[in-house]
Amino acid sequence: MALFLPYLPTERIIRARGQPEAPFALTEKQRGAVVITAPDRQAVALGLGVGMKLADARARVPDLLAFDHDSLADAQLLDRLAEACERYTPMIAAAPPHALILDITGAAHFYNSEEALARDVEDRLDATGYSAHWALASTPDAALALARHGLKEGAEGQLPVSALDMDAKTHQALERAGLYKIGDLSDRPRPNLAARFGMELTLRLDRLLGVEDRPIDPIRSLGNVTTDRRFPEPLTHIDAALNILEELFTEASEHLEQRGQGARMIRMMLFRCDGDIAKLGVETGAPTRDPLLFKRLLRERIDALNDELNPGFGYDLIRLSIVAAEPLAVKQLKLEGGEDLEADEVALVSQLSTRMGREQVQKFQPADSHIPEQGLLALPALDAPPPTPWEIPPSNNPPMRPLHMFDPPQRVQVIAEVPDGPPHRFTWRRKAHQVIRYEGPERIGSEWWQRKHGQQSGKGGLTRDYYRVEDIRGRRYWLFRHGLYGEEKANPDWFLHGLFA
Amino acid sequence: MNNIDSDSVQVMDASPINPFAVPETAGQKAATLKARFAKILSASGVKTADAEDGPTHFTFGVGRIDTALRGNAAADGLPKAALHEIHAAEKTDMTSAAAMALLLAERCREGKPILWITEAEEAHRQGRLYPPGIAELGIDPDTIIHIDAPDNITALRAAADGVRSSAMGTVIVELAGKRPKGLDLTATRRLSLSAQKSGVLNLLLRRDSDTQDPLPTAAFSRWEISAAPSIPLEANAPGHSTFDITLLRHRSGLYGLSARLEWNRDDRIFRDRQAGEAAPDLGTVPALSADRADHQGARAA
Repeated sequence: MALFLPYLPTERIIRARGQPEAPFALTEKQRGAVVITAPDRQAVALGLGVGMKLADARARVPDLLAFDHDSLADAQLLDRLAEACERYTPMIAAAPPHALILDITGAAHFYNSEEALARDVEDRLDATGYSAHWALASTPDAALALARHGLKEGAEGQLPVSALDMDAKTHQALERAGLYKIGDLSDRPRPNLAARFGMELTLRLDRLLGVEDRPIDPIRSLGNVTTDRRFPEPLTHIDAALNILEELFTEASEHLEQRGQGARMIRMMLFRCDGDIAKLGVETGAPTRDPLLFKRLLRERIDALNDELNPGFGYDLIRLSIVAAEPLAVKQLKLEGGEDLEADEVALVSQLSTRMGREQVQKFQPADSHIPEQGLLALPALDAPPPTPWEIPPSNNPPMRPLHMFDPPQRVQVIAEVPDGPPHRFTWRRKAHQVIRYEGPERIGSEWWQRKHGQQSGKGGLTRDYYRVEDIRGRRYWLFRHGLYGEEKANPDWFLHGLFA
Repeated sequence: MNNIDSDSVQVMDASPINPFAVPETAGQKAATLKARFAKILSASGVKTADAEDGPTHFTFGVGRIDTALRGNAAADGLPKAALHEIHAAEKTDMTSAAAMALLLAERCREGKPILWITEAEEAHRQGRLYPPGIAELGIDPDTIIHIDAPDNITALRAAADGVRSSAMGTVIVELAGKRPKGLDLTATRRLSLSAQKSGVLNLLLRRDSDTQDPLPTAAFSRWEISAAPSIPLEANAPGHSTFDITLLRHRSGLYGLSARLEWNRDDRIFRDRQAGEAAPDLGTVPALSADRADHQGARAA
């Protein structure tokens, strides 16, 4: 099924500002001239069309109003409408600029027929102030072409050849050959058409005639398991809606249990009867079928929302889909007690990640780099890979790496006895520190192979000389000189990179 | 502060009258069964897994301090199921304080993870935890779950959730400033009650705090940590991590307890540096260590 919204841009304006007193059009500057890109219904009735210059149009309709065309807002609106149509089917594709394609195969059982569903779509769009043409066909291209030209199923033959959507030259050539309608083309032998106009034409023709199907690219992929509830009387209470979500999850998890799976990612959509949709997502640290955990995560998610859920006139459809699932075996708990610590840990991590965002709850992983600040990764704990062993420091050594690191390193002023020697005194945050012990340098070269011409001397980046120093109060610091004195830099800078315990 | 209030346990209880309530699941049934089973077992004198907890106290591993900390309690050291405060003596002592918190956590975590909660912005400014440095202290960085909270309130909320979950070994929450927002008697009382219930050690790590006039909290004990000169290694290299610790407050009225401890990574134990150890050479004996040379003591009253 295809939906064509011929007046989408102008109706967006009317919805936002109310109906202007005079006919109006949306304009855009094209090659120095102001050109009409979307006339409204009245303007069309007065004979104005797309591509007309605004000055010409004003000559015909003096009181024509003009607004700037915001095609981005149109695209967003189309996406929103596509989402709103998810109440009918999950398989929806937007066909910019003004059309939507809905795959309603097997989705019409709530309505008596596919026509009834289509009429419901039309009514809803009409109620929100958008006029639409719809058409049903066996392939998306056919439906789209029919909807664009205001025809219904079975009328493919009456479509003009421009419905093929080829370039203007081909259309002209077809018309010159006396072929005005698709029906004229369909009787012709394909090889002749292909020889004259190319394979592209026959392919498009087949698609229009419903011979060849083209898969649509839905805005959202299908969930693994989807459960939903429709209400004849809209739900106006959040708590009731949340309870429904929990019920839906229990239902979905029964399906998952049969497959031996648990949910990792759960998506929820609450369709308000006035077309607004609230979308919620919950992610868990490990596959789960536990409704209590889901309930807790859901509450967290709702608490973390920037703007609260507002049922308004009520929800008439609530849908929950499991987007990602992973194998989860049934676990036998010990009868004599003992807690499932691992599950508790995962539950806590999921809960905190849901509340604060997955990036904020981290686990550390070593990274393959000898540059100190690049030697670690902080990955989201939700999907952290299995732990990689960290390098075990040799025994009976003091810590060689600091516990706290500054990123970026902090600039310090250093007085050294010799320019390439260890630091003697240094000033950090306007305080002088007297060095009484030091160890070093530990020389850490730059990653010259990462740089262009890094193998040539002087282009590989600066070497760092690290010193572990202790000041008179007993604090231990990690300092480095950036660049080898005399060789790489005339007057190398010093930085404080970390603090030891 | 009401944010911490939301007790998820209460929310979770689905009332039977609610028509939308989730029907009793297998998990809940198992829980009721388990509770009944535990009751029967305890009546017959058999110890259940729930009852067999690990040690209730944690220690520094230094006899002198651990015995002094005993107080009226049944075991040496400090109670594990409680909130303890660790203050950095000065700004630059923060690393030592953080290390002390980590090391204490490591000493009593029993294979469970450490939850480290910090305020992201402050951590960025003052230096972030560097995992290779954690490994250098003898702690596996994999045991740490690190949380960058956007603000203090969120950090405290996360801590409250962490402390409630007995899956955690230790919860360390790091707060900066003299009067961190949200940190008050109520919040700390809640944390320490949760800790008592779940048996999770909760450490409150404070940087830039006013140790002379600290915020009143419900913590069991309050410690001040500063870095101390190490015993130099060969060629006058800086030695092992060394801390000066001072007990500022203790529930049972101990005071003035102080020590200089050195962390021994290989044996995972602190070593008392005061027992007859010569102060470091170079004639630069910090004045502080002279004051703290003997722990005056024992107990008040």
